[in-house]
Amino acid sequence: MQIYLPIAEISINVFLLLLMGGLVGFVSGMFGVGGGFLMTPLLIFVGVPPAVSVATVANQITGASVSAALAHARRGGIDYKMGAVLITGGVIGSFFGSMIFALLRDMGQVDLMISLAYVLLLGTIGGLMFIESVHSMLRNRRGDMPRPSRRPRTWVDALPFKVRFRTSKMYISLLMPLAIGGLVGVLTAVMGVGGGFIMVPAMIYLLNMPIKVVIGTSLFQITFITASVTFLHSVNTQTVDVVLALVLLVGAVIGAPVGARVGAKLKAEQLRILLALMVLVVCGKIAVDLMSRPAEIYSVFLAGGLH
Amino acid sequence: MARLFLGGICGLFIGQQAMAERMVADLSRHVIDITSRFTGTQLLIFGAIERKIIQKGRGYGTAVKGSDYDVIVVVQSKRRNIIIRRKEKLGPIWANREFLTLENVPGFYALASTGPIKSILSQQQLSRIGVGFGQLKMTFKQQTSPAEAAAFRQGFIRNMRAKKLYSQPQGTISILDGLLFRAILDFPANMPVGNYRVDIYLVRDGKVVLAEQSPLEVNKAGLERFIYNFAHGYPAFYGMAAVLMALVAGLLGGFMSRKMSA
Repeated sequence: MQIYLPIAEISINVFLLLLMGGLVGFVSGMFGVGGGFLMTPLLIFVGVPPAVSVATVANQITGASVSAALAHARRGGIDYKMGAVLITGGVIGSFFGSMIFALLRDMGQVDLMISLAYVLLLGTIGGLMFIESVHSMLRNRRGDMPRPSRRPRTWVDALPFKVRFRTSKMYISLLMPLAIGGLVGVLTAVMGVGGGFIMVPAMIYLLNMPIKVVIGTSLFQITFITASVTFLHSVNTQTVDVVLALVLLVGAVIGAPVGARVGAKLKAEQLRILLALMVLVVCGKIAVDLMSRPAEIYSVFLAGGLH
Repeated sequence: MARLFLGGICGLFIGQQAMAERMVADLSRHVIDITSRFTGTQLLIFGAIERKIIQKGRGYGTAVKGSDYDVIVVVQSKRRNIIIRRKEKLGPIWANREFLTLENVPGFYALASTGPIKSILSQQQLSRIGVGFGQLKMTFKQQTSPAEAAAFRQGFIRNMRAKKLYSQPQGTISILDGLLFRAILDFPANMPVGNYRVDIYLVRDGKVVLAEQSPLEVNKAGLERFIYNFAHGYPAFYGMAAVLMALVAGLLGGFMSRKMSA
Protein backbone atom coordinates (compact mmCIF):
# COMPACT_ATOMS: atom_id res chain seq x y z
CA MET A 1 0.00 0.00 0.00
CA GLN A 2 1.53 3.26 -1.12
CA ILE A 3 1.31 6.42 0.93
CA TYR A 4 1.98 9.92 -0.36
CA LEU A 5 4.16 11.99 1.96
CA PRO A 6 2.99 15.62 1.78
CA ILE A 7 6.31 17.30 2.63
CA ALA A 8 8.77 14.81 1.15
CA GLU A 9 6.49 14.82 -1.94
CA ILE A 10 7.08 11.18 -2.75
CA SER A 11 4.88 8.12 -2.75
CA ILE A 12 6.29 5.23 -0.76
CA ASN A 13 5.16 1.84 0.54
CA VAL A 14 3.75 2.28 4.03
CA PHE A 15 4.79 -1.24 5.08
CA LEU A 16 8.39 -0.53 4.09
CA LEU A 17 8.30 2.52 6.37
CA LEU A 18 6.72 0.52 9.21
CA LEU A 19 9.35 -2.18 8.74
CA MET A 20 12.14 0.39 8.87
CA GLY A 21 10.64 2.00 11.95
CA GLY A 22 10.27 -1.42 13.54
CA LEU A 23 13.83 -2.50 12.71
CA VAL A 24 15.34 0.70 14.03
CA GLY A 25 13.07 0.45 17.08
CA PHE A 26 14.28 -3.13 17.57
CA VAL A 27 17.92 -2.03 17.37
CA SER A 28 17.34 0.88 19.72
CA GLY A 29 15.52 -1.34 22.21
CA MET A 30 18.29 -3.93 22.03
CA PHE A 31 21.20 -1.55 22.48
CA GLY A 32 19.53 1.26 24.36
CA VAL A 33 20.40 3.83 21.70
CA GLY A 34 18.05 6.23 19.92
CA GLY A 35 18.63 4.84 16.46
CA GLY A 36 18.55 8.15 14.60
CA PHE A 37 21.98 7.36 13.16
CA LEU A 38 20.40 4.35 11.40
CA MET A 39 17.02 5.87 10.57
CA THR A 40 18.29 8.96 8.74
CA PRO A 41 20.60 7.05 6.32
CA LEU A 42 17.88 4.41 5.77
CA LEU A 43 15.37 7.08 4.77
CA ILE A 44 17.89 8.62 2.39
CA PHE A 45 18.57 5.19 0.85
CA VAL A 46 14.86 4.69 0.08
CA GLY A 47 14.59 8.06 -1.62
CA VAL A 48 13.40 10.56 0.98
CA PRO A 49 15.21 13.87 0.34
CA PRO A 50 18.11 14.13 2.83
CA ALA A 51 16.90 17.43 4.28
CA VAL A 52 13.46 15.96 4.96
CA SER A 53 15.03 12.81 6.46
CA VAL A 54 17.11 14.77 8.97
CA ALA A 55 14.29 17.05 10.14
CA THR A 56 11.69 14.28 10.26
CA VAL A 57 13.86 11.86 12.22
CA ALA A 58 14.42 14.58 14.82
CA ASN A 59 10.63 14.81 15.07
CA GLN A 60 10.31 11.04 15.38
CA ILE A 61 12.97 10.83 18.13
CA THR A 62 10.99 13.28 20.28
CA GLY A 63 8.15 10.77 20.33
CA ALA A 64 10.42 7.74 20.70
CA SER A 65 12.28 9.16 23.73
CA VAL A 66 9.53 10.87 25.73
CA SER A 67 8.04 7.65 27.08
CA ALA A 68 11.42 6.24 28.14
CA ALA A 69 12.37 9.58 29.70
CA LEU A 70 9.18 9.51 31.79
CA ALA A 71 9.95 5.97 32.93
CA HIS A 72 13.36 7.15 34.17
CA ALA A 73 11.75 10.16 35.82
CA ARG A 74 9.46 7.90 37.85
CA ARG A 75 12.52 5.99 39.07
CA GLY A 76 14.27 9.25 39.95
CA GLY A 77 16.88 8.66 37.28
CA ILE A 78 17.02 12.24 35.98
CA ASP A 79 19.23 15.06 37.16
CA TYR A 80 16.91 17.91 36.19
CA LYS A 81 19.37 20.67 36.94
CA MET A 82 22.03 19.04 34.76
CA GLY A 83 19.34 18.35 32.15
CA ALA A 84 18.36 22.03 32.12
CA VAL A 85 21.98 23.11 31.56
CA LEU A 86 22.43 20.57 28.77
CA ILE A 87 19.17 21.69 27.18
CA THR A 88 20.20 25.35 27.32
CA GLY A 89 23.40 24.47 25.50
CA GLY A 90 21.47 22.21 23.12
CA VAL A 91 18.90 24.83 22.15
CA ILE A 92 21.67 27.30 21.32
CA GLY A 93 23.51 24.56 19.39
CA SER A 94 20.41 23.48 17.47
CA PHE A 95 19.71 27.11 16.56
CA PHE A 96 23.12 27.46 14.91
CA GLY A 97 22.92 23.93 13.51
CA SER A 98 19.65 24.64 11.73
CA MET A 99 21.06 27.92 10.35
CA ILE A 100 24.09 26.09 8.97
CA PHE A 101 21.70 23.51 7.55
CA ALA A 102 19.55 26.09 5.75
CA LEU A 103 22.63 27.87 4.41
CA LEU A 104 24.19 24.67 3.05
CA ARG A 105 20.88 23.67 1.52
CA ASP A 106 20.77 26.89 -0.47
CA MET A 107 24.34 26.20 -1.61
CA GLY A 108 23.37 22.69 -2.75
CA GLN A 109 25.80 21.12 -0.29
CA VAL A 110 23.49 19.78 2.38
CA ASP A 111 23.59 16.16 1.11
CA LEU A 112 27.37 16.20 1.06
CA MET A 113 27.51 17.71 4.53
CA ILE A 114 25.15 15.05 5.92
CA SER A 115 27.18 12.24 4.33
CA LEU A 116 30.53 13.61 5.50
CA ALA A 117 29.26 14.19 9.02
CA TYR A 118 27.96 10.62 9.14
CA VAL A 119 31.18 9.08 7.87
CA LEU A 120 33.26 11.09 10.32
CA LEU A 121 31.09 10.54 13.36
CA LEU A 122 30.07 6.93 12.76
CA GLY A 123 33.61 5.99 11.77
CA THR A 124 35.02 7.44 14.98
CA ILE A 125 32.33 6.15 17.33
CA GLY A 126 32.09 2.73 15.70
CA GLY A 127 35.86 2.31 15.58
CA LEU A 128 36.33 3.33 19.22
CA MET A 129 33.47 1.15 20.37
CA PHE A 130 34.78 -1.83 18.44
CA ILE A 131 38.32 -1.52 19.84
CA GLU A 132 37.01 -0.96 23.35
CA SER A 133 34.68 -3.96 23.33
CA VAL A 134 37.31 -6.28 21.85
CA HIS A 135 39.70 -5.15 24.60
CA SER A 136 37.19 -5.77 27.36
CA MET A 137 36.30 -9.15 25.90
CA LEU A 138 39.96 -10.18 25.93
CA ARG A 139 40.33 -8.82 29.48
CA ASN A 140 37.34 -10.87 30.63
CA ARG A 141 38.73 -13.98 29.01
CA ARG A 142 41.97 -13.51 30.91
CA GLY A 143 39.89 -13.09 34.04
CA ASP A 144 41.05 -9.58 34.89
CA MET A 145 38.51 -7.45 36.65
CA PRO A 146 38.46 -3.76 35.91
CA ARG A 147 39.36 -2.06 39.15
CA PRO A 148 36.82 0.44 40.39
CA SER A 149 38.59 3.76 40.52
CA ARG A 150 37.97 6.96 42.44
CA ARG A 151 36.67 9.84 40.39
CA PRO A 152 39.87 11.32 38.99
CA ARG A 153 40.47 15.06 38.90
CA THR A 154 40.82 16.34 35.36
CA TRP A 155 41.09 19.64 33.49
CA VAL A 156 37.28 19.79 33.66
CA ASP A 157 37.54 20.56 37.37
CA ALA A 158 39.74 23.58 36.62
CA LEU A 159 37.03 25.45 34.67
CA PRO A 160 35.28 28.47 36.26
CA PHE A 161 31.53 29.02 37.03
CA LYS A 162 31.21 26.00 39.27
CA VAL A 163 27.74 24.91 40.31
CA ARG A 164 26.50 22.18 42.63
CA PHE A 165 24.37 19.41 41.10
CA ARG A 166 22.67 17.66 44.01
CA THR A 167 21.18 14.68 42.22
CA SER A 168 24.51 13.80 40.60
CA LYS A 169 26.43 14.76 43.76
CA MET A 170 28.80 16.89 41.72
CA TYR A 171 30.33 20.33 41.95
CA ILE A 172 31.52 21.25 38.45
CA SER A 173 31.74 24.12 35.99
CA LEU A 174 28.66 25.04 33.96
CA LEU A 175 30.80 25.47 30.86
CA MET A 176 31.41 21.78 30.22
CA PRO A 177 27.75 20.61 30.14
CA LEU A 178 26.84 23.74 28.16
CA ALA A 179 29.47 22.89 25.54
CA ILE A 180 28.46 19.23 25.36
CA GLY A 181 24.78 20.19 25.05
CA GLY A 182 25.67 22.70 22.34
CA LEU A 183 27.62 20.14 20.33
CA VAL A 184 24.81 17.61 20.54
CA GLY A 185 22.32 20.34 19.51
CA VAL A 186 24.33 21.07 16.36
CA LEU A 187 24.57 17.34 15.56
CA THR A 188 20.83 16.83 16.02
CA ALA A 189 20.06 19.72 13.69
CA VAL A 190 22.44 18.74 10.88
CA MET A 191 22.38 14.94 11.15
CA GLY A 192 18.97 13.95 12.48
CA VAL A 193 20.36 12.00 15.42
CA GLY A 194 19.41 12.22 19.07
CA GLY A 195 23.06 12.29 19.99
CA GLY A 196 22.78 9.80 22.85
CA PHE A 197 25.88 7.99 21.60
CA ILE A 198 27.87 11.18 22.23
CA MET A 199 25.96 12.41 25.26
CA VAL A 200 26.21 9.20 27.28
CA PRO A 201 30.00 8.73 26.96
CA ALA A 202 30.51 12.46 27.51
CA MET A 203 28.49 12.34 30.73
CA ILE A 204 30.37 9.30 31.97
CA TYR A 205 33.92 10.16 30.97
CA LEU A 206 33.98 13.97 30.82
CA LEU A 207 31.45 14.94 33.49
CA ASN A 208 31.92 11.82 35.65
CA MET A 209 28.20 11.67 36.36
CA PRO A 210 26.89 8.68 38.34
CA ILE A 211 25.74 5.91 35.98
CA LYS A 212 22.23 5.74 37.48
CA VAL A 213 21.28 9.23 36.25
CA VAL A 214 23.18 9.18 32.92
CA ILE A 215 20.62 7.40 30.70
CA GLY A 216 17.60 9.20 32.18
CA THR A 217 19.18 12.64 31.94
CA SER A 218 20.35 11.91 28.39
CA LEU A 219 16.82 10.87 27.34
CA PHE A 220 15.36 13.90 29.11
CA GLN A 221 17.55 16.31 27.19
CA ILE A 222 17.14 14.41 23.88
CA THR A 223 13.36 14.87 24.11
CA PHE A 224 13.79 18.62 24.43
CA ILE A 225 16.59 19.08 21.90
CA THR A 226 14.84 17.08 19.18
CA ALA A 227 11.68 19.10 19.88
CA SER A 228 13.69 22.30 19.47
CA VAL A 229 15.24 20.99 16.23
CA THR A 230 11.81 19.98 14.90
CA PHE A 231 10.52 23.48 15.56
CA LEU A 232 13.56 25.22 14.03
CA HIS A 233 13.57 23.08 10.87
CA SER A 234 9.83 23.67 10.49
CA VAL A 235 10.41 27.41 10.62
CA ASN A 236 13.64 27.62 8.60
CA THR A 237 13.30 24.97 5.93
CA GLN A 238 9.78 23.45 6.14
CA THR A 239 11.26 19.96 5.93
CA VAL A 240 9.45 18.18 8.79
CA ASP A 241 7.06 15.57 7.41
CA VAL A 242 4.60 14.69 10.21
CA VAL A 243 3.02 11.85 8.25
CA LEU A 244 6.41 10.19 7.78
CA ALA A 245 7.34 10.81 11.43
CA LEU A 246 4.10 9.25 12.65
CA VAL A 247 4.47 6.10 10.53
CA LEU A 248 8.07 5.63 11.68
CA LEU A 249 7.02 6.19 15.27
CA VAL A 250 4.36 3.49 15.07
CA GLY A 251 6.97 1.04 13.77
CA ALA A 252 9.47 2.04 16.45
CA VAL A 253 6.95 1.66 19.29
CA ILE A 254 6.29 -1.92 18.15
CA GLY A 255 9.93 -2.80 17.54
CA ALA A 256 11.55 -1.36 20.67
CA PRO A 257 10.14 -3.75 23.33
CA VAL A 258 10.98 -6.77 21.14
CA GLY A 259 14.54 -5.53 20.77
CA ALA A 260 14.80 -4.92 24.50
CA ARG A 261 13.77 -8.51 25.23
CA VAL A 262 16.34 -9.92 22.79
CA GLY A 263 19.00 -7.56 24.11
CA ALA A 264 18.45 -8.78 27.67
CA LYS A 265 19.49 -12.29 26.59
CA LEU A 266 22.82 -11.20 25.09
CA LYS A 267 26.03 -10.36 26.94
CA ALA A 268 27.01 -6.71 27.21
CA GLU A 269 30.23 -7.12 25.21
CA GLN A 270 28.54 -9.09 22.46
CA LEU A 271 25.95 -6.34 22.24
CA ARG A 272 28.60 -3.65 22.03
CA ILE A 273 30.55 -5.45 19.30
CA LEU A 274 27.33 -5.99 17.33
CA LEU A 275 26.40 -2.33 17.66
CA ALA A 276 29.92 -1.25 16.69
CA LEU A 277 29.81 -3.44 13.59
CA MET A 278 26.42 -2.06 12.63
CA VAL A 279 27.66 1.51 12.99
CA LEU A 280 30.75 0.70 10.90
CA VAL A 281 28.65 -0.92 8.13
CA VAL A 282 26.43 2.17 7.85
CA CYS A 283 29.54 4.35 7.83
CA GLY A 284 31.19 2.20 5.16
CA LYS A 285 28.14 2.28 2.90
CA ILE A 286 27.95 6.08 3.03
CA ALA A 287 31.71 6.39 2.43
CA VAL A 288 31.58 4.08 -0.61
CA ASP A 289 28.65 6.07 -2.03
CA LEU A 290 30.60 9.29 -1.61
CA MET A 291 33.67 7.93 -3.36
CA SER A 292 32.17 6.00 -6.25
CA ARG A 293 31.40 7.77 -9.48
CA PRO A 294 27.69 8.68 -9.47
CA ALA A 295 25.55 7.28 -12.30
CA GLU A 296 24.39 10.82 -13.05
CA ILE A 297 26.65 13.74 -12.24
CA TYR A 298 23.98 16.35 -12.91
CA SER A 299 21.13 16.95 -10.51
CA VAL A 300 18.21 19.38 -10.53
CA PHE A 301 16.80 21.54 -7.76
CA LEU A 302 13.85 23.89 -7.83
CA ALA A 303 15.25 27.37 -7.34
CA GLY A 304 14.18 28.38 -3.84
CA GLY A 305 12.20 25.17 -3.52
CA LEU A 306 12.29 22.11 -1.35
CA HIS A 307 14.61 19.71 -3.10
CA MET B 1 -15.52 22.75 -16.93
CA ALA B 2 -15.51 24.59 -20.18
CA ARG B 3 -15.70 22.49 -23.25
CA LEU B 4 -13.49 23.63 -25.98
CA PHE B 5 -14.79 24.72 -29.27
CA LEU B 6 -12.82 25.89 -32.15
CA GLY B 7 -14.71 26.75 -35.21
CA GLY B 8 -14.87 29.13 -38.05
CA ILE B 9 -13.77 32.12 -36.05
CA CYS B 10 -10.46 30.67 -35.04
CA GLY B 11 -10.12 29.06 -38.40
CA LEU B 12 -10.34 32.51 -39.93
CA PHE B 13 -7.78 33.71 -37.46
CA ILE B 14 -5.33 31.05 -38.56
CA GLY B 15 -6.04 31.96 -42.14
CA GLN B 16 -7.92 28.96 -43.44
CA GLN B 17 -11.12 30.94 -44.02
CA ALA B 18 -14.04 28.88 -45.19
CA MET B 19 -11.76 25.94 -45.92
CA ALA B 20 -11.15 25.33 -42.22
CA GLU B 21 -12.06 22.19 -40.33
CA ARG B 22 -13.34 22.14 -36.82
CA MET B 23 -11.86 20.43 -33.76
CA VAL B 24 -13.52 19.79 -30.41
CA ALA B 25 -11.30 18.52 -27.63
CA ASP B 26 -11.45 18.04 -23.91
CA LEU B 27 -9.65 16.40 -21.00
CA SER B 28 -11.05 13.57 -18.92
CA ARG B 29 -10.66 15.97 -15.99
CA HIS B 30 -9.35 19.44 -15.42
CA VAL B 31 -8.31 18.96 -11.81
CA ILE B 32 -5.93 16.31 -10.51
CA ASP B 33 -6.01 15.84 -6.75
CA ILE B 34 -3.00 14.50 -4.91
CA THR B 35 -4.27 12.57 -1.89
CA SER B 36 -2.55 10.23 0.54
CA ARG B 37 -3.06 7.29 -1.81
CA PHE B 38 -1.73 9.12 -4.86
CA THR B 39 0.74 7.06 -6.86
CA GLY B 40 0.57 8.96 -10.12
CA THR B 41 -2.30 9.09 -12.55
CA GLN B 42 -3.36 9.07 -16.18
CA LEU B 43 -5.08 11.78 -18.09
CA LEU B 44 -7.20 11.14 -21.14
CA ILE B 45 -7.23 13.82 -23.78
CA PHE B 46 -9.81 13.23 -26.46
CA GLY B 47 -11.47 15.06 -29.27
CA ALA B 48 -13.12 14.99 -32.64
CA ILE B 49 -12.15 16.44 -35.97
CA GLU B 50 -14.96 17.74 -38.14
CA ARG B 51 -14.00 17.83 -41.79
CA LYS B 52 -17.37 19.03 -43.03
CA ILE B 53 -17.98 22.68 -42.48
CA ILE B 54 -20.76 25.07 -43.31
CA GLN B 55 -20.00 26.92 -46.50
CA LYS B 56 -21.32 30.43 -46.91
CA GLY B 57 -24.92 29.92 -47.90
CA ARG B 58 -24.14 26.75 -49.84
CA GLY B 59 -24.70 23.86 -47.40
CA TYR B 60 -21.77 21.71 -46.37
CA GLY B 61 -18.43 21.17 -47.92
CA THR B 62 -15.40 19.11 -47.09
CA ALA B 63 -12.35 21.01 -46.07
CA VAL B 64 -9.77 18.86 -47.70
CA LYS B 65 -10.25 15.61 -49.48
CA GLY B 66 -7.97 12.63 -48.97
CA SER B 67 -5.72 14.36 -46.54
CA ASP B 68 -4.47 12.80 -43.29
CA TYR B 69 -4.50 14.55 -40.01
CA ASP B 70 -1.97 14.43 -37.22
CA VAL B 71 -2.48 15.45 -33.62
CA ILE B 72 0.16 16.63 -31.17
CA VAL B 73 -0.68 17.11 -27.47
CA VAL B 74 1.63 18.96 -25.09
CA VAL B 75 1.06 19.13 -21.33
CA GLN B 76 3.33 21.37 -19.30
CA SER B 77 3.39 22.79 -15.80
CA LYS B 78 3.98 26.36 -14.78
CA ARG B 79 7.42 27.61 -15.75
CA ARG B 80 9.99 28.29 -13.09
CA ASN B 81 13.69 28.57 -12.48
CA ILE B 82 15.56 25.34 -11.90
CA ILE B 83 19.11 24.99 -10.62
CA ILE B 84 21.29 22.30 -12.20
CA ARG B 85 24.36 21.18 -10.29
CA ARG B 86 27.23 19.07 -11.53
CA LYS B 87 29.29 16.75 -9.36
CA GLU B 88 33.03 16.70 -9.72
CA LYS B 89 35.69 14.61 -8.11
CA LEU B 90 37.20 16.52 -5.20
CA GLY B 91 40.04 14.46 -3.81
CA PRO B 92 38.51 11.07 -2.99
CA ILE B 93 34.86 12.17 -3.04
CA TRP B 94 32.28 13.37 -5.52
CA ALA B 95 30.70 16.70 -4.68
CA ASN B 96 28.52 19.32 -6.34
CA ARG B 97 30.68 22.04 -7.85
CA GLU B 98 29.48 24.00 -10.88
CA PHE B 99 25.87 25.08 -11.12
CA LEU B 100 23.72 26.94 -13.63
CA THR B 101 20.20 28.29 -13.25
CA LEU B 102 17.77 27.49 -16.03
CA GLU B 103 15.23 30.23 -16.42
CA ASN B 104 11.54 29.62 -17.04
CA VAL B 105 11.40 25.94 -17.81
CA PRO B 106 8.38 23.74 -17.07
CA GLY B 107 8.75 21.35 -14.14
CA PHE B 108 6.63 18.86 -16.06
CA TYR B 109 6.52 18.36 -19.81
CA ALA B 110 4.76 15.56 -21.66
CA LEU B 111 4.19 15.29 -25.36
CA ALA B 112 2.10 12.77 -27.24
CA SER B 113 1.57 12.56 -30.98
CA THR B 114 0.20 10.40 -33.77
CA GLY B 115 3.72 9.74 -35.03
CA PRO B 116 7.32 10.95 -34.81
CA ILE B 117 7.02 14.73 -34.49
CA LYS B 118 9.88 15.30 -36.90
CA SER B 119 7.93 13.61 -39.65
CA ILE B 120 4.75 15.50 -38.76
CA LEU B 121 6.20 18.99 -38.77
CA SER B 122 9.34 20.59 -40.14
CA GLN B 123 12.05 21.71 -37.77
CA GLN B 124 11.06 25.28 -38.51
CA GLN B 125 7.42 24.64 -37.65
CA LEU B 126 8.35 22.76 -34.47
CA SER B 127 10.48 25.58 -33.21
CA ARG B 128 7.82 28.14 -34.11
CA ILE B 129 5.26 26.53 -31.82
CA GLY B 130 7.91 25.25 -29.40
CA VAL B 131 7.01 21.57 -29.40
CA GLY B 132 9.42 18.89 -28.16
CA PHE B 133 12.30 18.93 -25.65
CA GLY B 134 14.62 20.10 -28.37
CA GLN B 135 12.51 23.23 -28.82
CA LEU B 136 12.22 24.25 -25.18
CA LYS B 137 13.81 27.61 -24.66
CA MET B 138 16.50 26.87 -22.17
CA THR B 139 18.45 29.96 -21.31
CA PHE B 140 20.76 30.23 -18.35
CA LYS B 141 20.92 33.07 -15.87
CA GLN B 142 24.70 32.84 -15.83
CA GLN B 143 27.16 33.42 -18.64
CA THR B 144 28.60 30.19 -19.94
CA SER B 145 30.24 28.63 -22.98
CA PRO B 146 28.01 26.93 -25.57
CA ALA B 147 29.61 23.55 -24.83
CA GLU B 148 28.93 23.87 -21.11
CA ALA B 149 25.39 25.06 -21.73
CA ALA B 150 24.74 22.04 -23.97
CA ALA B 151 26.16 19.63 -21.39
CA PHE B 152 24.01 21.14 -18.63
CA ARG B 153 20.91 21.07 -20.85
CA GLN B 154 21.44 17.39 -21.59
CA GLY B 155 22.05 16.66 -17.93
CA PHE B 156 18.81 18.47 -17.12
CA ILE B 157 16.78 16.51 -19.70
CA ARG B 158 18.28 13.20 -18.51
CA ASN B 159 17.36 14.04 -14.92
CA MET B 160 13.82 15.03 -15.79
CA ARG B 161 13.30 11.94 -17.96
CA ALA B 162 14.61 9.69 -15.18
CA LYS B 163 12.12 11.27 -12.78
CA LYS B 164 9.42 10.76 -15.43
CA LEU B 165 8.74 14.50 -15.33
CA TYR B 166 9.70 14.93 -18.99
CA SER B 167 8.45 12.50 -21.59
CA GLN B 168 7.62 12.52 -25.26
CA PRO B 169 6.13 9.21 -26.30
CA GLN B 170 5.46 9.42 -30.03
CA GLY B 171 2.89 7.56 -32.01
CA THR B 172 0.65 6.98 -28.99
CA ILE B 173 -2.30 8.93 -30.32
CA SER B 174 -4.61 7.10 -32.65
CA ILE B 175 -7.21 8.74 -34.86
CA LEU B 176 -10.31 6.60 -35.38
CA ASP B 177 -11.80 6.87 -38.85
CA GLY B 178 -10.02 10.14 -39.25
CA LEU B 179 -12.52 11.62 -36.83
CA LEU B 180 -11.89 10.76 -33.20
CA PHE B 181 -8.58 10.94 -31.41
CA ARG B 182 -7.51 10.04 -27.94
CA ALA B 183 -4.26 10.39 -26.04
CA ILE B 184 -3.41 8.94 -22.65
CA LEU B 185 -0.66 10.66 -20.72
CA ASP B 186 1.02 9.30 -17.60
CA PHE B 187 1.73 11.50 -14.59
CA PRO B 188 4.16 10.36 -11.91
CA ALA B 189 3.56 10.72 -8.15
CA ASN B 190 6.21 13.42 -7.91
CA MET B 191 4.49 15.74 -10.39
CA PRO B 192 4.68 19.39 -9.38
CA VAL B 193 1.50 21.06 -8.12
CA GLY B 194 0.07 24.18 -9.73
CA ASN B 195 -1.51 25.28 -12.96
CA TYR B 196 -0.77 23.32 -16.09
CA ARG B 197 -1.50 24.09 -19.67
CA VAL B 198 -2.56 21.59 -22.31
CA ASP B 199 -1.99 22.41 -25.98
CA ILE B 200 -3.61 20.37 -28.71
CA TYR B 201 -2.40 20.88 -32.27
CA LEU B 202 -4.16 19.62 -35.36
CA VAL B 203 -1.76 19.21 -38.25
CA ARG B 204 -2.50 18.75 -41.94
CA ASP B 205 0.06 18.63 -44.73
CA GLY B 206 2.90 19.68 -42.45
CA LYS B 207 1.06 22.72 -41.17
CA VAL B 208 -0.67 23.42 -37.88
CA VAL B 209 -4.24 24.14 -38.93
CA LEU B 210 -5.80 24.37 -35.49
CA ALA B 211 -4.40 24.95 -32.02
CA GLU B 212 -6.44 24.46 -28.91
CA GLN B 213 -5.56 25.22 -25.32
CA SER B 214 -7.03 23.91 -22.12
CA PRO B 215 -6.26 24.46 -18.44
CA LEU B 216 -5.33 21.73 -16.00
CA GLU B 217 -4.85 22.11 -12.30
CA VAL B 218 -2.84 19.82 -10.04
CA ASN B 219 -3.49 20.21 -6.34
CA LYS B 220 -2.75 18.45 -3.14
CA ALA B 221 -6.09 17.51 -1.65
CA GLY B 222 -7.56 16.54 1.67
CA LEU B 223 -5.17 16.01 4.54
CA GLU B 224 -2.11 16.26 2.30
CA ARG B 225 -3.16 19.71 1.17
CA PHE B 226 -3.88 20.78 4.73
CA ILE B 227 -0.50 19.56 6.02
CA TYR B 228 1.43 21.10 3.14
CA ASN B 229 -0.32 24.46 3.41
CA PHE B 230 0.00 24.43 7.19
CA ALA B 231 3.75 23.69 7.00
CA HIS B 232 4.40 26.43 4.47
CA GLY B 233 1.85 29.00 5.63
CA TYR B 234 2.28 28.80 9.40
CA PRO B 235 5.69 27.17 9.91
CA ALA B 236 5.99 28.05 13.61
CA PHE B 237 2.59 26.60 14.49
CA TYR B 238 3.31 23.60 12.31
CA GLY B 239 6.56 23.01 14.21
CA MET B 240 4.73 23.17 17.53
CA ALA B 241 2.01 20.84 16.26
CA ALA B 242 4.64 18.37 15.01
CA VAL B 243 6.30 18.31 18.44
CA LEU B 244 2.95 17.89 20.16
CA MET B 245 1.97 15.06 17.83
CA ALA B 246 5.26 13.24 18.50
CA LEU B 247 4.84 13.65 22.26
CA VAL B 248 1.26 12.40 22.30
CA ALA B 249 2.04 9.48 19.95
CA GLY B 250 5.15 8.58 21.94
CA LEU B 251 3.34 8.63 25.29
CA LEU B 252 0.44 6.65 23.90
CA GLY B 253 2.82 4.09 22.39
CA GLY B 254 4.77 3.76 25.62
CA PHE B 255 1.56 3.34 27.58
CA MET B 256 0.31 0.63 25.23
CA SER B 257 3.54 -1.36 25.18
CA ARG B 258 3.61 -1.26 29.01
CA LYS B 259 0.03 -2.56 29.10
CA MET B 260 0.90 -5.35 26.67
CA SER B 261 4.02 -6.51 28.48
CA ALA B 262 2.33 -6.29 31.90
